[in-house]
Amino acid sequence: MRNATRLLGGPLGAIVLAFFLAAIAMLIAGVSPVDGFWALFVGALGGRQQIAETLVQTTALLFPALGITLAFRAGLFNIGAEGQLVIGGLAAGALGAHFVAPGPLAVVVLLAAGFIGGGIWGGIAGWLRARFNANEIISTLMLNFVALSLASYLVSGPLKSAQAAGAETAPLPPQSWLPVLIPDTRLSIALLIAIATAIVLRWVLSRTVFGYDLRAAGEAPEAARRGGVNMPRMTWLALSLSGAIAGLGGAALVTGVLHRFNTQLSPGYGYTAIAVALVGDLNPLWVCVAAFGFGILEAGGLAMQALADVPKDAIHVIEGLIIIVLAARRYIATRAEGAPI
Amino acid sequence: MNAGSSLIATLVTLTLIKSTPIIYAALGGVISERSGVINIGLEGMMIGGAFTAVVFSGVTGNPVIGLLAGIGAGAVLGLVLGLAATIFKVDQIVAGTGINLVAAGAAAYALTLIYNQPGASPQVNALGNGFWVLVALAFVCAMLLHVVLYETPWGLRVRACGENPRAVHDAALNPLRLRVAAVAISGALAGLGGAFLSIGEVNIFSDGMTAGRGFIALAAVIFGRWTPWGATGASMFFGFFEALQYVLQGRVGWLPADAMQAVPYIAALIAIAGLVGKVRAPAADGVPY
Repeated sequence: MRNATRLLGGPLGAIVLAFFLAAIAMLIAGVSPVDGFWALFVGALGGRQQIAETLVQTTALLFPALGITLAFRAGLFNIGAEGQLVIGGLAAGALGAHFVAPGPLAVVVLLAAGFIGGGIWGGIAGWLRARFNANEIISTLMLNFVALSLASYLVSGPLKSAQAAGAETAPLPPQSWLPVLIPDTRLSIALLIAIATAIVLRWVLSRTVFGYDLRAAGEAPEAARRGGVNMPRMTWLALSLSGAIAGLGGAALVTGVLHRFNTQLSPGYGYTAIAVALVGDLNPLWVCVAAFGFGILEAGGLAMQALADVPKDAIHVIEGLIIIVLAARRYIATRAEGAPI
Repeated sequence: MNAGSSLIATLVTLTLIKSTPIIYAALGGVISERSGVINIGLEGMMIGGAFTAVVFSGVTGNPVIGLLAGIGAGAVLGLVLGLAATIFKVDQIVAGTGINLVAAGAAAYALTLIYNQPGASPQVNALGNGFWVLVALAFVCAMLLHVVLYETPWGLRVRACGENPRAVHDAALNPLRLRVAAVAISGALAGLGGAFLSIGEVNIFSDGMTAGRGFIALAAVIFGRWTPWGATGASMFFGFFEALQYVLQGRVGWLPADAMQAVPYIAALIAIAGLVGKVRAPAADGVPY
């Protein structure tokens, strides 16, 4: 178990620092931090609509953050959650535009398509690492851009909807939408699926043999190898599952929020999710809390811009600084060995 | 001159222009990785260089000062990554990702604050025809980096840092200091590449103008097998594909432009999988010391 001191010294310290930096960003913009933070919190939590929107952002960040958590715990640097999320969304959108099934079956099939799509995308990096010893940092990063190019090509060509003006797939029929959680908002039960995923991930990591092997592979690869863990298989599995969870998030965005696929699906959730996973100390349940915190930032940022005249991009500066501060080596301590490019 | 040869002339010219910013950033990637630090933050350093160059050119009216400021901004970001990755023991990959977020966010934030118009800056004085000097300078830089890395004691030490920092330490040298210097130079080169984009090719800064060139440069480093000339050649190969899209647009009925944008990344994937001859990264590349 990771102890409380570590949490205080790491993630909580980073959050305090983030608020301090946010205050500075507001002062530079000539806004009193009191007004700025007030606008941020009113914008994120000031009413039913605002809370729902914050939870929509929370959900969008939680899936890729859980995928990243799984990979990092296995000692694998998956910085390709963005691409895996896009491929998952693409799979759900492409299938969902034409797929009709009775009852809740349609949604289940589309979510499964996203899970498999993201899993394949993560699995490519896993296969390259397991088979050719190709560094997963570079391959997952490169695959992000391949995913975006592929999606962009498909929705402006073969998969483009004849009705839509922009480059996007045809809309999903309403029976393929995820049920709404709070009426008249964009919040769907995707939030509950994300939280359930976190609980399952926590159980798998802490209570199963597979989870034990996965953590062993991350924390002491040489010991794991000698202890009989099939390392190439573990690498491949961990990156596939990591991508699958991110892909599920893409499918949840398509079936729960957009109801179609286009390349504006993610404004960089897969990168912000790295910060979410690190702030959550790579512990699935704390990652849920961290995702809510970042959801407040994402949703409140726009209100801060509108009400207090602080450019919303300040939020991304803060997120980036949290990443830099939190990326201390102890978090991903054992990557060095056996990880050539 | 017939249509065919003018088309080729356009293609060659455009290839040179489109390759230049990638070459600068890729050379930055080479020196950083040869010292043992993977510079994921090249994209952010290009953004920093591009934006700062526009601000300083706008304030002073002198694009050369803008250019120097852009190089300086890249160097500062490189210094931040270099110090984080060495003395502060921060993981270099995650820190580089953070630099990209910070640079993109800060440029957009400052764009709104300084010019009160999100999206793009107003027009500033650009380098004009002087940007051809920068095109030529890219190749001079490649040659210089080659000489520095392979012919000077300092270059030998930097390469040793990337292979076996312990041995550098045992030779009574400071591998961390060498890495910080290498990553700062890397940032300066990426900043120069960014400044070329904003006040060389055009005369404004706009959000997203680097368009992933920092990552293409990272791909070029790998495809070019971590050598200055290799990375330069790979950058030109990728620049050629960018130029080809411009030339073909409007000339052919339908062009899978989006699919062509994936070429650099797929090339890098093929290269790291070792499918095009043996590829060997510096032994301690990405490994903290």
